[in-house]
Amino acid sequence: MVFSSLTFLFLFLPLTLLFHYVTNSNIVRNLSLSLFSLIFYAWGEPIWVFLLLFSSFFDYGNGLLIEKFKGTVKAKLILILSIIGNLGILIAFKYGGFIWENINYIIPLSFPKPTNTLPIGISFYTFQTVSYTIDVYRGEVKAQKNVINFLMFVSLFHQLVAGPIVRYQTIETEMENRRFDWEDISSGVSRFCFGLFKKVIIANIAGELVNKYLETGFNDLSSVEAWFGIMMFSVQIYFDFSGYSDMAIGLGRMFGFHYDENFKHPYAAISVADFYRRWHISLGKFFRDYVYIPMGGNRKHQLLNIMVVWLLTGLWHGASWNFVLWGFYFGCFMIIEKLLENILNKTPKIIRHLYTLFLIILSRSIFYFVDFSQLKLFIIKLFSSKSYVKESFYSDLYEHLYWFILVILLCIPFDELLSEKHPVRMSVNRVLKFSQPVLNLVLLLICIVFLVDSTYNPFIYFRF
Amino acid sequence: MLSLFAGGFSFFILPKKTISVSEKRTLASLPKLHWNSYVNGKWSDSIDQYVNDQSPFRFELVKLASSINYYRGIHLANREKVMVVAKPQKPNNVNTVTSDSISRKTNAVEVFEEAYSGNMLIINGSVFTLNRGNPKMAAMFGKMLSKYALELNGKTRVISCIPPLSCAYIPSAKYNDYKLKNRETLLSIKQSLTNGALFCDVQDELNKHTDEKLFFSTDHHWTARGAYYAYVAFCNGVGLEPVSLDKMERRVKYDFLGSLYQLTRDKSVENNPDSMEYFIPRVQTNAIHYGPSDYTKPLKGSLFCHGCSGGNSYSTFLCGDIPLVKIKTNIKNGKKVLVIKNSMGNAFTVYLVNHYEEVYAVDFRYAQHNLLTLIKQNAINDMVFALGLHGAMAYGTIQRMHDLGFNNELVRKKDAALKDTTLQNNPSPTFTSSSK
Repeated sequence: MVFSSLTFLFLFLPLTLLFHYVTNSNIVRNLSLSLFSLIFYAWGEPIWVFLLLFSSFFDYGNGLLIEKFKGTVKAKLILILSIIGNLGILIAFKYGGFIWENINYIIPLSFPKPTNTLPIGISFYTFQTVSYTIDVYRGEVKAQKNVINFLMFVSLFHQLVAGPIVRYQTIETEMENRRFDWEDISSGVSRFCFGLFKKVIIANIAGELVNKYLETGFNDLSSVEAWFGIMMFSVQIYFDFSGYSDMAIGLGRMFGFHYDENFKHPYAAISVADFYRRWHISLGKFFRDYVYIPMGGNRKHQLLNIMVVWLLTGLWHGASWNFVLWGFYFGCFMIIEKLLENILNKTPKIIRHLYTLFLIILSRSIFYFVDFSQLKLFIIKLFSSKSYVKESFYSDLYEHLYWFILVILLCIPFDELLSEKHPVRMSVNRVLKFSQPVLNLVLLLICIVFLVDSTYNPFIYFRF
Repeated sequence: MLSLFAGGFSFFILPKKTISVSEKRTLASLPKLHWNSYVNGKWSDSIDQYVNDQSPFRFELVKLASSINYYRGIHLANREKVMVVAKPQKPNNVNTVTSDSISRKTNAVEVFEEAYSGNMLIINGSVFTLNRGNPKMAAMFGKMLSKYALELNGKTRVISCIPPLSCAYIPSAKYNDYKLKNRETLLSIKQSLTNGALFCDVQDELNKHTDEKLFFSTDHHWTARGAYYAYVAFCNGVGLEPVSLDKMERRVKYDFLGSLYQLTRDKSVENNPDSMEYFIPRVQTNAIHYGPSDYTKPLKGSLFCHGCSGGNSYSTFLCGDIPLVKIKTNIKNGKKVLVIKNSMGNAFTVYLVNHYEEVYAVDFRYAQHNLLTLIKQNAINDMVFALGLHGAMAYGTIQRMHDLGFNNELVRKKDAALKDTTLQNNPSPTFTSSSK
């Protein structure tokens, strides 16, 4: 099940809210949320829901044992067991085929390539439970004694399949102390509607253009069209991912949870480092807190630490060499920026912003094309294509003009450019305060119209 | 939030629909829960499909989406654009054994669903499927016809009467390449015909009339005029004198928004509906329909369905895609023709009543009778392949047409069920133009 589906909007969410708020008891609410979250997950993974359950009970037990044996070698061994267990599950399901391919390339293997499907959200929930056991070990959080509460933490449908990666300490208190709060529900609804709008109206339309320019062969693709296609992919990936994060945060608020922000206008960044302080923030923090700093951070062989983090980040995104290349690409630029920090700080912001956008958009092609020969062809097209721009390209520009303007406006960080006391910002806030319910309704209705439209499935010939 | 509760509530209380006429498919019903369907994910997919298909005010919301989409930007006149149309998804409802009871033994229908997806060019409210043809596969089609010609050994003439695709007539010199590639594909059929099989140069005849409307703007079929010029090419190929259009009764149906509009839902196409003229030969005819359900119970049919209208206007010809239509005329010359066709052939077949005492129209996608048996039992003089070029250059359809004659395992219905008792007992066929 996905948030941007009619089943979720009309059936699942209303029922979940009803069962959550029909009682004042947090125990019953947590039980209800856990059950609904498992139903949500089992909807797409009827078999691998048991893997999720196993992972939850595994680290529930590990957390209790680590706390019990705190300060002893046993605690460390249990932590190592938890890390190996979680990463082992992740490696087996996500990287098994990739590892087999690469070993088989050098030494032919006698057993067949693993072909299991990748369970949805495994990259997120394994990281989530690993962060929990490490935090318990470090004494930053107390182990959760209630198995239902822990199951809820791991399986909570808000962030289970697409993040953000929620740290246990973020919601530790709220697990047992949530109140009915109209302000939270109202903010949550607004945030959810906005996220849904970003996904359905911006990301999905960008996806149509990506499909048109990047999926129908490169034979007569001009450089302009190639850049346009990869820019649309940059739009799609941002609004899809940040839209989901907005919906997750909004859903959290509706149920009394307050998750951290996961995106902060990344396309306004003025350096690659700045970009990744604004993009998928929870993942960046995970690698910072659990890999970069333990390796020595900026105190010991910093450049090596940066490269290791980025190679792992690349691999986390997918089991394919293009993702490793993508990680290497950013590792290099992070290092270059570190080494040229003084020069870059003296460069005008606009130049830094443009150079950052260029690098980010170019990197999307490495992310998009899993096949290296296709990637090579596309990079060539980006910089030297003998094909002409087609008439239909101009039609696409005209026919999406208002949509492009909306995309640009949504990328601009008005809240950073205008201070809280700025008259324009204060006026907008005043208008929003009164019009928010109507705006939410309009956004929601537009999204529902488009979601229903996306189910339109005409055939050439009668099928009845 | 209230609107979500309202949406959920109205979903439960509003009555459920079974068919979507504009999409030409059945809508999903509530699936039953079985362990197997749960484990393989089909049950949850079916629930999603059910909720999608039964959303409150679905048709109205789809229309509203078209209007909102229009305001994504500016629409300039005389602009051309390319739209990518996705292949339709076969319903995944666990309640249905098959999604299409008519064509469950063939993927010939799927070939056409695939053909009418991908890149579509829209110029001035007209839609063209962009396809450069496939000479290699077309040669296989020609060889298949030659095999029939060899088997029939001169007793029945085998004739190819295949038109080019509409993209051969895009009104812009930039797309001339499509005309040339279509020509190459059709010549590939001609060059591969042997054993006396004949080639009728439909494209050559159509090229003489490019100032007339040969293909619909909003539908994937050709017009009655386009089909007429194919009939002229056929007559020239077999030595018949074509009957001119002014000797037939002309009728027109308006506001025809066809299949390509439904696929693209483009506003400029919506504002450019087709008028569908058709020409009724002044010949008395009596038509019998066999199938799609029971071949032993043939139904009284009609050469034209005058009542078909709106998005279904093209079904005027032969009343749609019936597996086998037998037409008896008052032309007493003992000549019989068998047309192997898809829906493109419907508009062509109706002209043949001017020359034959009996006309058999077999829709190869749905037919379940052995063609060679049909030909031999009924002493057919001419076997004409009159279908859209897509069908003549796709492996699945060529194999299907081949198997209808040469693969007895494919063909379930024995031709004893096709004895023409109804026609024999009805000595006074009615003139079809006066019906409906």
